[in-house]
Amino acid sequence: MDLEIRKRELVKEFSPMLKKSTKTSKIWMVFLIAVILVGIIAFILQAVKGHEVTGMRDNVVWGIYIINFIFFVCLSYSGAFISGILHFFKTPWKNSVMRIVEIITVLSLIIGPIFILLCIGRLDRLHYLFIYPRIQSPITWDIIAIITDLIGCFIYLYLTFIPDFAILRDNSKKAPAWKQKLYKKLAIGYYDTPTQREKLHKITRTMSAMIIALAIIAYSVLAWIFSLTLQPGWNSSIFAPYFIVAGLYSGVGVIIIAMYLIRKFYHLEHYIRKVHFIGAGVILLVISLLFGYFTFSEYFSRWFSHKTHDVNLLNTLFNRYFWMFIFANYIGVLIPIVILFFKKLRTIKSITFAALIAVLGLWFNRYLIVVPTLETPYLPIQDSRSEFIHYSATWIEWALSFAGVAAFILFFILLMRLVPIIPMSGIIDNEREQQKKTKQITQNQK
Amino acid sequence: MKTTFYKYSVLVLIIGLLFNIRSSAQETSIDNYRMLFYFKTVKQADNSRMLEAQLIARNKKDRKDKVPVLDAEIQFFNILNDEEVLLGKSKTNKEGIAQITLAENQSYLTDEEGNINLKAYFKGTDAIDEQEETISVKDLHLELDLKEIDSVKTVLVNAFVIDSLGTKQNIEESDIIISVNGMLSKMPIEEGYIEDGKLEFEMPTDIPGDVDGNLTVYAIIEDHDEFGNVMAKKYANWGVFNQQDEVESNSLWTEAAPIWMYIVLTILLVGVWANYAYTILNLFSIKKEGKALEMNSKNQ
Repeated sequence: MDLEIRKRELVKEFSPMLKKSTKTSKIWMVFLIAVILVGIIAFILQAVKGHEVTGMRDNVVWGIYIINFIFFVCLSYSGAFISGILHFFKTPWKNSVMRIVEIITVLSLIIGPIFILLCIGRLDRLHYLFIYPRIQSPITWDIIAIITDLIGCFIYLYLTFIPDFAILRDNSKKAPAWKQKLYKKLAIGYYDTPTQREKLHKITRTMSAMIIALAIIAYSVLAWIFSLTLQPGWNSSIFAPYFIVAGLYSGVGVIIIAMYLIRKFYHLEHYIRKVHFIGAGVILLVISLLFGYFTFSEYFSRWFSHKTHDVNLLNTLFNRYFWMFIFANYIGVLIPIVILFFKKLRTIKSITFAALIAVLGLWFNRYLIVVPTLETPYLPIQDSRSEFIHYSATWIEWALSFAGVAAFILFFILLMRLVPIIPMSGIIDNEREQQKKTKQITQNQK
Repeated sequence: MKTTFYKYSVLVLIIGLLFNIRSSAQETSIDNYRMLFYFKTVKQADNSRMLEAQLIARNKKDRKDKVPVLDAEIQFFNILNDEEVLLGKSKTNKEGIAQITLAENQSYLTDEEGNINLKAYFKGTDAIDEQEETISVKDLHLELDLKEIDSVKTVLVNAFVIDSLGTKQNIEESDIIISVNGMLSKMPIEEGYIEDGKLEFEMPTDIPGDVDGNLTVYAIIEDHDEFGNVMAKKYANWGVFNQQDEVESNSLWTEAAPIWMYIVLTILLVGVWANYAYTILNLFSIKKEGKALEMNSKNQ
């Protein structure tokens, strides 16, 4: 079949996703915007009244903002890592999940750092970080790593979008004028000529390799913010690889959840099939085993060392945070392992359920890394007020956290309105490859 | 059906977690605990006497699990045979400690050997049994003197009791600790031994004092079978202000980062950003080719 006709067909097939919203999606959008607005109100209150309106005090100076920051940034790094792997090794079923992974990568890398800004008490001094950087500080490394990674991810995402923008430019005559102009601008004159294709493939492949390396470096730097301090629970030599495994765990989990929702709401059963879920499920199983192993090693060495401050921390974890600890480190690991280990239990819904448990468990795992350590400092807490001794997030922090999640989903939906979630160029590439192979076979037979 | 099950199980877990964040892992029952009651007395530097009792519940199975009893009223008595004189009472604080301080001129009932018999008493509640502890101490006088003898800074300690006739009787022997006041606690500088009521000790000359060079020196007898805890203190302008000449050698906290850090970071960043530049250049070349194609098709 002529590839140009096939492109037109694909645009036609995916155009309902790009056109006007349905009633349900409108309700969703209104709901998400409302959540974001509540978050904006909370932010204004926080900016006016200061951090007093949050649960953060002298000892627990990092609350759920930093947890969300780590969660989103890890999500992004793992997205970049997985995307790079899928692209670099030309994984056969990559096309159906590739764009989901790329969008998750970029959006979480935009949303994540916003949380660190919310954590800063004196936002008016933010520029000091750039004017007076200390290169020996892991915080400065993190800023450099995040900015470099963000730009890298943007470039990479854009590279993978270009062929689709070109297809949409050539086949969206019925689209609004602004959209046509936008597609033309973003397609940068790409006409899928062999030289253009070759160039684009080459730079995308290099960027995919670069992004894997960047993700590992940026991940490690994020872990070092904690592990280079002497705090009990943070000062650990395995924190960097532990963060990488934990990030991949949450990353694969969120990808599975996104696959499930997109498949359900956009009726993409033909493209996102059970085999994709099983593939992702098996990866999640392997990572959950690794994550469980790292978690056990981390806590086992602390428990066995009998150092006073480590013992105090473990006491806090096993008393005040007992249920959260059990959920994060037992249920959050064992349930996915049990579901994914047995072939019979591997259905689309159960794999998604396992992914959901894993993601929730991971968020709580982050909470347990940050808050209990700050609640058990080396020097005794001087203030006797309960809010100074124990941290609990206020509605302002929850509102801003949910606003972040809502913004993530909203931007995801809006991006899906701009380009189809299944890369059309990927389908075309596959078919082109198949045509080539068929030609070769027929020539050989002759 | 299955979907509903998943929905509800996740919901239950989340709600459970939100409400259970502060819940404790184990139910604490008083039956699992054994009461520990400690009593001690300290004769302080100003010759007042502090009586201190501590009431703690300790888990029968886990000896590390100790819970101080708060707000328990402890009565302190001076006893002699059947006679009991109430010296005072106090309630335990959050560490389970109740204290009273008796002035220097407090008179005590003493037995024929000159022992002061003291008792701490907790009358008990419905849940906790009554507790009682007694100690017996002699009233030891500890004199501390800081003198420069032939330009040698010397600590002189004299320990004695006063017998029924009012004469000083030097004690035979006892361990003693000489300490100086540090920022957070007392820093021991000599663990000595009193013989015949005397101790002479040469004070080190390199101990920093406060901003004015003053040093607080303590002589402390701890947990002595006969005398309990006794303390004496004195000030002298013997402190030395130590100028810290050494520069911290930890390079992570110096003004400038180590050279290797600059080199490694620069190589990494230049490598990455050069790749970005290369990618963008290629994009421009794709754009150029696209423009040429558009021009060609327009011309045709």
